[in-house]
Amino acid sequence: MIPDVQLIKQGAEARVYLGPFCQRQAIIKERFAKAYRHPTLDKKLTSRRVIQEARCLYRCQKALIDTPTVYLVDLDQSVIYMEYIPGISVRDYLVTEPGQEAEAQHRVAVAIGKALGAMHNIDVIHGDLTTSNLLMRETSGAVVLIDFGLSYVSQLIEDKAVDLYVLERAFVSTHPNTEVMFAQILEAYGESSKASKQILKKLEDVRLRGRKRSMLG
Amino acid sequence: MESYPIEVVPNAGDVHMACFISVKNAPDLKERLQAQDKSLTFAMVESNLIMDVVQLLVAATRAAKDNDTKKLSTQSLSSEIIYNLSPTKNIAESLKRFGITEDTTSLIAVKIGGDPIEVMEDMSKTVDGILVSFSKLDQEKDIKRLRQYYKIDPKVTEDKDILNWIIGAMAMKNVQ
Ligand SMILES: Nc1ncnc2c1ncn2[C@@H]1O[C@H](COP(=O)(O)OP(=O)(O)OP(=O)(O)O)[C@@H](O)[C@H]1O
Ligand SMILES: [Mg+2]
Repeated sequence: MIPDVQLIKQGAEARVYLGPFCQRQAIIKERFAKAYRHPTLDKKLTSRRVIQEARCLYRCQKALIDTPTVYLVDLDQSVIYMEYIPGISVRDYLVTEPGQEAEAQHRVAVAIGKALGAMHNIDVIHGDLTTSNLLMRETSGAVVLIDFGLSYVSQLIEDKAVDLYVLERAFVSTHPNTEVMFAQILEAYGESSKASKQILKKLEDVRLRGRKRSMLG
Repeated sequence: MESYPIEVVPNAGDVHMACFISVKNAPDLKERLQAQDKSLTFAMVESNLIMDVVQLLVAATRAAKDNDTKKLSTQSLSSEIIYNLSPTKNIAESLKRFGITEDTTSLIAVKIGGDPIEVMEDMSKTVDGILVSFSKLDQEKDIKRLRQYYKIDPKVTEDKDILNWIIGAMAMKNVQ
């Protein structure tokens, strides 16, 4: 691996580093093998995930959605080198600055809703929407979508609704008293995406199912 | 000349790059390229298709990496650098677009590895032109052709966004 790199996150499927790359600071995301999977099968699956992640990032970039630029895809090592976005996650923003001005929070919510609407418009399903996977640029405060490790392309309203539901659960479980903010996200989402009305309707079904499931335990 | 490390493949040596304008011997250089003259040890890139040094560094990094794993798509490390600048897999077209032509008057010489002093000597001996700093690049770039070749969305207008678009397109050519 590259000298002068700093490990940012050691996950279950990937290690994320920050390090120099072509005169820039880059995020280096390395997927590694899972011990319990067959080596050749694992290599194939890992490779497919890396390709999928890079493709979804690129699909977003081409649709002018603020996402990290892919710099290099190394399929041999299962590594993606990508643009480093200086800033903080929406999670840290909400945790460390509780009770921000309602106006500031509203701006962030609108930015998130718009970004998600644009992403679903090009049929990218994020697959892991949490407040850690939404960054805010240090310079402009613009919201950047990251971590497309579980992303895929689908036109299904159901898939888009579930994507939103995952984010809603993340909000509820990590950020108390953010119902207003989440409602603002959905409002902005509803205005920016074509099929959004249907998707938001579907979200209600998904919620209902979720509730039934949790009642069954 | 400027030299930069290749972080991904540190043992490949540095990338050395020199920018020349008022080049007078392009027909001769082109002929030597076509004859696969082994004494030409560096790549020559049409400088009007270069937005930024980073674009060249990414192409060189990828070439060094693929050379390291014996997975070059073209015949040499030099042609691979040029090929990597292109967003398409068509080798002939890529080399034609991003390499020099008989009419080239400004070019960038790029070499991976080697002693910087020797590389610089070799480049200035081979290219009959005026060595300039990379800050001159700005005046050279042909934004219309860049937009055409990389299919840049007309709504992308800021230099840094254009550059990121270009790098993304280069990076994705082996995963499309
Ligand atoms: N492009 C980026 N710019 C800045 N920080 C980033 C970037 N990508 C990732 N990070 C930081 O690294 C952390 C982990 O990255 P990421 O979410 O992609 O990996 P992960 O959660 O391990 O992935 P996966 O869910 O695919 O296993 C992020 O939460 C963020 O703090
Ligand atoms: Mg993550």
